[in-house]
Amino acid sequence: METKEQSRLFTAYQKSVVIILVLAAWSVFPHFMKNNMFLPPFLDIMQTLWEMVRSGEMGKHLLASLRRAGIGLAIAEAAAIPVGIGLGWFARFENYLDPLLTALRNLSVLTILPLFVLFLGIGEVSKTAIIVWGCFFPQLVNTISGVKNVDPVLIQSARSMGMSNFSLFQKVILPGSMTYTLTGFRLSASIALLVLVGAEMLGADFGLGHMIFHYQQAFLIKKMYCGILVMIIVGVVVNTLIARLESRLTIWQDKGNAH
Amino acid sequence: MAKQTSIQGAALETDKRIVAKDVGLVYKIRSRRKKENRTLTALEHVDIEVNKGEFYALVGPSGCGKSTFLYILAGLIKKTSGALYINGHEIHGPDLDRGIIMQQYALFPWRTIRKNVELGLEVKGVKKEERERIALGFIDLVGLSEFADRYPYELSGGMKQRIAIARALAYDPDVLLMDEPFAAVDEQTRETLHDELLRIWEKTNKTIIFVTHSIDEAVFLADRVAVMTPSPGSIKEVVDINLGRPRVSGHIKSTQAFSMLRHRVWELLQNSGETADAGAGAAADFDVSEVISESAVL
Ligand SMILES: Nc1ncnc2c1ncn2[C@@H]1O[C@H](COP(=O)(O)OP(=O)(O)OP(=O)(O)O)[C@@H](O)[C@H]1O
Ligand SMILES: [Mg+2]
Repeated sequence: METKEQSRLFTAYQKSVVIILVLAAWSVFPHFMKNNMFLPPFLDIMQTLWEMVRSGEMGKHLLASLRRAGIGLAIAEAAAIPVGIGLGWFARFENYLDPLLTALRNLSVLTILPLFVLFLGIGEVSKTAIIVWGCFFPQLVNTISGVKNVDPVLIQSARSMGMSNFSLFQKVILPGSMTYTLTGFRLSASIALLVLVGAEMLGADFGLGHMIFHYQQAFLIKKMYCGILVMIIVGVVVNTLIARLESRLTIWQDKGNAH
Repeated sequence: MAKQTSIQGAALETDKRIVAKDVGLVYKIRSRRKKENRTLTALEHVDIEVNKGEFYALVGPSGCGKSTFLYILAGLIKKTSGALYINGHEIHGPDLDRGIIMQQYALFPWRTIRKNVELGLEVKGVKKEERERIALGFIDLVGLSEFADRYPYELSGGMKQRIAIARALAYDPDVLLMDEPFAAVDEQTRETLHDELLRIWEKTNKTIIFVTHSIDEAVFLADRVAVMTPSPGSIKEVVDINLGRPRVSGHIKSTQAFSMLRHRVWELLQNSGETADAGAGAAADFDVSEVISESAVL
């Protein structure tokens, strides 16, 4: 018989042991390499990271990146959710638009990156636009599915009470499509980070992507690793926050303990 | 045209709760394979009169249009012909004077039980505290007080159906429309729910139109049982169930009067049932999901 406390400790152990081993190896192994210039020991990198944080350099880049990704994601969400709800509701339009959407959705962001540069240059607008583009489609497609998957029986039940279109939308369609919309949000957020780095490598004054690329070119390998590590941390934090939000907003769902 | 019928409607005697006159319904069906549009006559010349406070059961072979008729009464489907009245006024669409209880419970999974029961009251514009008070009252009436703050997934089928009933009762409609509400629960639970429904009906004085497949259920519950013909459905005959009340299931069902009424309804279904499957078969090669999603968007 395990106590709750014990099983919680065990979970923590399970989750951290492999990472700790990898980091330990990373701390030790490079010391035995003839030339560890491309793979500096982990602890040395941590020291550099600490210096970069203290000098404010890392903060500057991080903030620039988060701002860019955040603005791009916000614009994409603000456009994709209403459009998705509209297209999901008026299924007739979707039949016309579906081929186009399928084509655009399958177009990799990197493929059309040059097009964005051509039209918008390599400034801030172009970088935000490419993030918007990347985030828009996953959110759109998921929102459409969400609306189309609202149980028609629920819609009829609501209608039978003489519910107005506005209330129907607010009390049935929005909450009924919530799970799909949140999935779209999670996807879009991770794509925002992905596209961000690519866009920043195109050229920027600040930003993690720019920083990683720049220090690689300048052969400041430790600083480059710092950028990569921070990028990983950002990814994990964003994902965790969204997962929290998801489970809070869908508390009413059978999480499968009944099966 | 509409004006004329509503004048007729106003002139209608109002001791009847629900009146249907010569109601017909034709579904337009789009075939996926074949290009041409086809139609399916689901209801033809349906006439019924339901008294205030009456328990009225509707039985008929599968596919004869029982659900269709109930949905028309609820205002969810527009009839193709004929006229329908509630309290002497023509029915134009859904409203809070009728409450429909569907076989699939139709509880909103993201709302707690209490919030589910409050939904009709929200539409009605009732204030928050008042809503809560009324909802808790009806949840108590169906015996599920301790579940008020739970979510639907935590309830069994029978409990969900009781909540669906509580929800319909909460906004105080004159008529409850029930579409095979107890088809998905086991025999014992069904009997409990029967007793409970009769108790609630006697207490609240609602008019109930109850669609069912089960002859036993219809005869046990109803004041009158209307037997429908196979597709296109119409009312074949209405059988008076003069069994007296209150009814206790264990006792009534073993009486001779019960078996005779039961047999009578069975007979009526029997010699109308020969073509029972023809109607259901007619729509079989059409895409049902498409049809359903279309009607949902109406
Ligand atoms: N939305 C629809 N569009 C087209 N045809 C429909 C639609 N709904 C039902 N039908 C057809 O109308 C007929 C009556 O259907 P309905 O569901 O009213 O029957 P029912 O008497 O309730 O049957 P059951 O006892 O099996 O529930 C059937 O032939 C069915 O295929
Ligand atoms: Mg039916």
